[in-house]
Amino acid sequence: MRELNVEALARVEGDGGITVTLDGKKVKSVTLDVHEGPRLIEQLVRGMTPEDDLTVIPRICAICTLSHRYSAIRGLEKALGVSAPEKALVTRELMMLGENVESNSLHTFLLALPDFLGYPSAIAMLNDYADDVKRALRLKKFGNHVMAITSGRIVHGENPIIGGFGKYPSRKALEEIKLKSHELIPDAVRDVELFASLKYPTFPEAEMVFMSVNAPKKKFGFAGDSILISNGKEANVEDYKKLTSERVVSHSFAKRSLYQDKPFTVGANARLINMGKRLDGQAGDLFKEHYSDGWLKNPLYNNLAQAIEMLWSLEQMPEVVDKIMGMEDPPNEKPTRTTGSGTGAVEAPRGTLYHHYDIKDGLIDGADIITPTAQNLDDIERHMRLTAERLLAEDKKDEEIRLGLEMVARAYDPCISCATHLVTLKRI
Amino acid sequence: MHKLRDTPCDTEADLKRLLKDVVGHGRLYVLGLGNTDRADDGAGIVVAENLKKPFPEFSFSEHDGVEGTVLEISEKDEVASVVFVDAADLKLSPGSIRVVKKEQIRETEITTHRVAVALMASILAKTGKESAVVCIQPGSVEFRGRMTQPVKKSVEAIVKALAELMSQGDSQAR
Repeated sequence: MRELNVEALARVEGDGGITVTLDGKKVKSVTLDVHEGPRLIEQLVRGMTPEDDLTVIPRICAICTLSHRYSAIRGLEKALGVSAPEKALVTRELMMLGENVESNSLHTFLLALPDFLGYPSAIAMLNDYADDVKRALRLKKFGNHVMAITSGRIVHGENPIIGGFGKYPSRKALEEIKLKSHELIPDAVRDVELFASLKYPTFPEAEMVFMSVNAPKKKFGFAGDSILISNGKEANVEDYKKLTSERVVSHSFAKRSLYQDKPFTVGANARLINMGKRLDGQAGDLFKEHYSDGWLKNPLYNNLAQAIEMLWSLEQMPEVVDKIMGMEDPPNEKPTRTTGSGTGAVEAPRGTLYHHYDIKDGLIDGADIITPTAQNLDDIERHMRLTAERLLAEDKKDEEIRLGLEMVARAYDPCISCATHLVTLKRI
Repeated sequence: MHKLRDTPCDTEADLKRLLKDVVGHGRLYVLGLGNTDRADDGAGIVVAENLKKPFPEFSFSEHDGVEGTVLEISEKDEVASVVFVDAADLKLSPGSIRVVKKEQIRETEITTHRVAVALMASILAKTGKESAVVCIQPGSVEFRGRMTQPVKKSVEAIVKALAELMSQGDSQAR
């Protein structure tokens, strides 16, 4: 028996571990052991007002902060019978586009790309790929800027509220976003070309099921009231429990999800597989050019999907900005009831994010939050197991197996305080 | 918070001496890092916010965007240095200060939540700019907690030392 350790699975967030137990060349088990303590946010917000809830829940995540806020707003507005004005809806679109650029630029370039280019980190890449790293940072900076303009600050902005916005972005700020987003499009095109030129190893391949929200009006987007499943079915977001079937496992503080007793995938690849035909502009053209059957089986294509999506987000911004500028600032809509239930779903950069609320007499009576990474954990384990089995069968060295496992885990862009931190191969 | 190899810096005089050694000539920029939701973990941000008043164009906090700020400084055609200020678990008494030169930055990893200071230092070095990290030992990182007295005192000392060096850098640049 021997063990193969990776001292910290870098470039993800959180404290956990992957244990691969091997019996000769057979993989006995693969577990994603999450050591990060439970955060009990859903319990914490019980008894709070919806407004206080909105201050607390974005703290779940500093990078998906606006996705958490927006998903919560959608759930709370349904529960309270609020219909936000059109200008609020379009401004929310803009903030989600900003978060998408911010997060996808970080993940694709600084977290995932080093694996493909054979570097231990983006820092090591700097000597040979300084322009690419700087391009990623420019995009991230701009994404952050859009988030700050729409939400009030870069992280945990308080400006998006139930029924509208505390304050709508100024015309000057919007015009700057329009100009800058247009300027950055060539950078994003280069990013797509770079990720399309990478060789995507086939070791994790298996048939997959993909889920994403169904953006309204047959357009691509990051929010919706129904869920598209790649098997052709569609479900209302209020049925999220049937779609996710959450369960607890003994080796993890993070809950797990299965759809019809099988793992499934959420993320940019799921969005493009379910809604990619709706992409327009250069993003649409490049998706058509680079899409292949491999996307349906290989989670590593999530990296290319994120690059295409980032381009689409930039291309959308001028149009969205024009829409916002074409509308007067409306008054915020007020709740029409104090008791009710509602589920919000948005596409965080790393996948579908649900926030369900039960409100009684104006206070939170129950909350249920299901994050994208919690939905992906079973799928990550499945593809890691396949990776280990195939690389062992090919007599690959431990270093190569280790890298393969890390690439698969990172491809999902895990963003939880319960992500992996240590890979252990136990041989018995 | 960062986990970094430290260099002793027990007095305000030590701090000035070490910083002067690191920052050399030209403009001095300050970039405060941390989380103000967690008591002393926000010390770096408080330092930067204090320095923004006298030096609005040269002091930035994590709330201004770390990567973008560093990228802009790196692309400026001027002699300049950047001092990052952050809370760090140095296993010392609360409020202890250490200066970490860029060559000593041990942190190498980037996460979804934070781009490594080591990467920022490398980007700055590419255009000949110096950098260092001033670390402050927190006494409490309790969520929604208040900054402890020893850390408050250290923040004041760091602000004073950096303000002096920034003034010098400002006059040199002119």
